[in-house]
Amino acid sequence: MSRSYRYAVYIILAAVVLVLLSPIVWLAITSLKSPAEMASFPPTWVPAEPRPDNYVEAVRSVDFLGATRNSLTIAAISTILTTLSSAWVGFGFARLNAPGKKQLFGVLLATMMLPSIVTLVPMYLLFAKVHMVNTFWPWVLWGLAGSPFLIFLFRQFFAGLPREMEEAAVIDGCGYVGIFWRIFLPQSWPVIAASVILSFTAAWGDFVGPALLLSQDSTTLAVAMASGYVNAQGLPLNNLIAAGAVMYVLPVLVLFMFMQRRFVSGFSTAGLK
Amino acid sequence: MSSGQLTQARPPVAPTPTTATRTDKGRPKSGMRRARTFYLFVAPWVIGFVALTVFPLAYAFWLSLTDSDGLSPRTHFVGLENYVEIFKDPLTLSSLGRTGVFALVTVPLSIIAGLLLAVIVNLPIRARGLFRALIYLPAVVPPVGAALAFRLIFDRDAGAANGVLSGLGADPITWLVDPNVRYVLYALVLWGCGGAMIISLAGLQDIPRELTEAAQVDGANAWQSFIRITVPLLSPVILFQVITGVIGSLQSFAPLLLSSGSLSGAGAVPEGNYLFMIHVFAQYFSASRFGYASAMLWLLFAVILLVTLLIMKVSARTVFYTVEPEGKR
Repeated sequence: MSRSYRYAVYIILAAVVLVLLSPIVWLAITSLKSPAEMASFPPTWVPAEPRPDNYVEAVRSVDFLGATRNSLTIAAISTILTTLSSAWVGFGFARLNAPGKKQLFGVLLATMMLPSIVTLVPMYLLFAKVHMVNTFWPWVLWGLAGSPFLIFLFRQFFAGLPREMEEAAVIDGCGYVGIFWRIFLPQSWPVIAASVILSFTAAWGDFVGPALLLSQDSTTLAVAMASGYVNAQGLPLNNLIAAGAVMYVLPVLVLFMFMQRRFVSGFSTAGLK
Repeated sequence: MSSGQLTQARPPVAPTPTTATRTDKGRPKSGMRRARTFYLFVAPWVIGFVALTVFPLAYAFWLSLTDSDGLSPRTHFVGLENYVEIFKDPLTLSSLGRTGVFALVTVPLSIIAGLLLAVIVNLPIRARGLFRALIYLPAVVPPVGAALAFRLIFDRDAGAANGVLSGLGADPITWLVDPNVRYVLYALVLWGCGGAMIISLAGLQDIPRELTEAAQVDGANAWQSFIRITVPLLSPVILFQVITGVIGSLQSFAPLLLSSGSLSGAGAVPEGNYLFMIHVFAQYFSASRFGYASAMLWLLFAVILLVTLLIMKVSARTVFYTVEPEGKR
């Protein structure tokens, strides 16, 4: 590449990154503005007197801590159960054989294309019938069932490991459950890392599920965030929304920045990249 | 994802044990025991699939044949009445059409933007890992956070978009109402094109470098080798993105968050962003018409199935596989 060509590439990339990051930057700027500044036009680019108090108010004016606790609980349930269950099922598809396996795997791949929303709403009625609405049980059940995509990811990884790994264990009299727990699962940390990030961000970001299945006082941050910050007239308090949104988005961004290398390596070691 | 991985062999896709191993010889029951073990391992997913997917779908189908409102115990079987009504309800048809336009605009734009960015961040430049991460970053921002950020950028008074316009001497625009609100929605979707970039990048790294190098030796310029070699070799990856993208946008509920942000306030979504799923939610929760809403979901399901099959059929001649795709993929 010639030097001028290289510079052109850097300029394009810098412009793209600037545009893509601007919504996040604007969120941060808005979160420090006073109500007066929110009402003035044209908008101020840098708050005259940054108001960190917006964050305190954002936490106080909705049940921020309660919603955070609910979000974390749901995210933890989903992440742990989905990852373990997907690894377990993926191991079965990768290492064991039985009549009907091919068909089952075909069904698994097909469900990846099934729009999740089509089943979610009838599920609301079913969960209501068995009194699971307003509890975290639906997330336990979803977690236990695993996620088709993650099952596929684990299956690809386990299928690629050498045959000798399980043969030695079989000779030593170790059953398949033991082989899974003691030998295969500890090997699969890159896929586990990818799975943890994917299921955590999905659960943390989910809006429709908690909005349908949880009431206002047991809901998650995503739902509280979207509807909580309004004044007595029902108008949105945008500076508080921004402060809340920063606190809501930041954990995911930090997790991503720290884990992105592992995240990518999880895909490539599973032969998906 | 270094270019060194180009030479790294992929793990074999399906080296599953097909016959009993040496150690199993002389133990006639081991085949059956192994089958039982297989079912033990896949049981969580199979049970979950039946209980959490098949059963709700069947239930939704039964609901769609009734006048259920989800609350009163007495529901009546109404046959295909709900399905007939779909074609009489102007809001259902218009929201479905609007959703189609939404998919037609956002899916190609996201894929093209993602592909171009993937080509750029695949060049041998310094800090490309950082650029990849920063461009991908918006795709990990939770949807609610993304929608709120866009609401604040496109706010009439306090938004940055109008701030820039007024700096340039132009009049402010009321973005979040009709007819402009659809462009905010498009921008919101396009903001996440880093997701498409990552997928295309993975595809790019699977293309043997010798192929593009050979083309350049033969006198092709960068654009020609991109169009003639890179794009055809990426076509399976692009097809995958088209299908998942269309499925995703047909069930999109992003506009809900862009405007009012609560399910009960679904009616507050501006007409330009009143997509099919918004109408479904309005029928379910504001109007309590569970039977009719279930019929609408089945319509959506049929449309998705039809569109997917159509895309696969049309693409059969244009998608180029270096190796035969395995199984159903």
